[in-house]
Amino acid sequence: MAVKMPSHTSITRLLSPLVNSFRTVSLNPSASLAKPSTIRSFSTSSTHLAPPNKNAKQADPRISLIRYHMQHPKTPRPLKLSRMRALRHWTIHRAWMLARRKRKEAEENELQRMYQSMHSACEELRLMDPPGSKDAGRLYRIAMEKKGIFGHGGVPIEYARAQTDTPAKEPWNHEWTR
Amino acid sequence: MALQELPSAMRQLANRHARSTAVAIGQFPRRYASGQAAAVQEVSEDLQDLEPQSSLSTRFSPKKAAGFDPVKRAEGRKIELPSSRYQYRSPRYYRGPLHPHQPPPTSDPASRQFVPGPFSHTRLEQTFQSTIASDLMTLGYAHRPPGTVDIPKSDRLRTWDDSSPYHKNRPKRGPRGPEGVLRLIERDISWRNIPKIQGVTVHSMVKGAMDDSAYLHIAGMALQAVTGVKPKVFKATQGVASFGIRQGMPISLTCTLRNNQAYEFVDKCINLVLPKLKDWEGVEGTTGDSSGNISFGFNRDGALLFPEIEVNYDMYPPKMIPGFHVTIHTSATSDRHARLLLSAMGLPFHGKLVD
Repeated sequence: MAVKMPSHTSITRLLSPLVNSFRTVSLNPSASLAKPSTIRSFSTSSTHLAPPNKNAKQADPRISLIRYHMQHPKTPRPLKLSRMRALRHWTIHRAWMLARRKRKEAEENELQRMYQSMHSACEELRLMDPPGSKDAGRLYRIAMEKKGIFGHGGVPIEYARAQTDTPAKEPWNHEWTR
Repeated sequence: MALQELPSAMRQLANRHARSTAVAIGQFPRRYASGQAAAVQEVSEDLQDLEPQSSLSTRFSPKKAAGFDPVKRAEGRKIELPSSRYQYRSPRYYRGPLHPHQPPPTSDPASRQFVPGPFSHTRLEQTFQSTIASDLMTLGYAHRPPGTVDIPKSDRLRTWDDSSPYHKNRPKRGPRGPEGVLRLIERDISWRNIPKIQGVTVHSMVKGAMDDSAYLHIAGMALQAVTGVKPKVFKATQGVASFGIRQGMPISLTCTLRNNQAYEFVDKCINLVLPKLKDWEGVEGTTGDSSGNISFGFNRDGALLFPEIEVNYDMYPPKMIPGFHVTIHTSATSDRHARLLLSAMGLPFHGKLVD
């Protein structure tokens, strides 16, 4: 599978002007206040005399903070490992991959063993009684039934508890009812 | 070799003689399976003009090969080698499969996408491996007596009968029926095919983003907090006036979770968030796309129950945290198998179950 580098999203395009203004405000508080008045204004009176626009919505600072943090570059700086460090990484990586593969194969072998023992048990059951005798193959037929496994309560929800490192404060609730 | 100084024609005669004597003695510089057979063959007249040996000399000697011991050479060095001045830098942009500089695999620490790999299994995956997998295999076991003959099934994609000469090489026809849709075949559960969680997709459509992009950013932050994955933004492909969306506007966010992240998210949902929902009976029984993917959703109140959002709930502007859909992708090939897997993990279903 080819590695795809992340491309710019619309958020980044929307964010850049906002973030730049936020960055300049946070890093250089003095620079933004001291505006160089190179542009000649038409009016000679100061703009501070004009009343502040009450309709202008005060942007929630939390919005700009969230935008700033979402703007974080997508990939961290790439690692540069020295020769011995790289060799150690390579060794450990290969060992870990091998350990994972062994564990996975052990699990698969265990499942295969269980499946084969089920198969032989069912065969035994099927061939237990000679054909034509009373109740021939009755136990085999009952074993092959799959009543209600796909419906409600196929796996009772009481059994669906994930394993934990330590037991719960209340290991088993004896008063629980459906 | 002295033979290389002789002119070409003389060399040919000499080599031919040398090769035949070498074969007779049994010493051939390089052995290969067809060597003996080739030596026995008479060189035909057409091949007389060819030079018997390649013009590129390979000075291969077995003595040098026997003496090659890099470990001994490395250990015998008293002084460490100087560090090389060349530092490998992986390419910043992916320029296609034919470019000479290809990015290294993600498992390589030199890659820009390198994330130190999974160090342990999540508890849900451990539970699955130890108990749930064998339970599902036993529940779904279907015995096949030895010597069972499969009923020959009709083709799913029907070929044309060659009643007309134009049928040759014509593409096959689709399945019968009004829709003519090829459905996924439900495979039996066996030790090689046990339904497993493959990934989770978390999706949120943010209507408020049409007017104010802040809604999209906050939704993105909320999804990133909950899933741990940076969401991808998608634009509206078509404008729908009734929904109030215009074409091309960024409107929705999607996170794709895999492996440990997916298991942890499902574990969190089942054990932390869903039990806290008020008056929640279970996931709808009609959920599922007939191919083993199960979906459910959280509205705003449900999303607030996630621990990552609850802990700094006041860092979000009010009423801007969205709800989202969660789709669990499994390796099951039917809805009922997927429901069996998820109910074994603790996800309750309610209502009429539809496959």
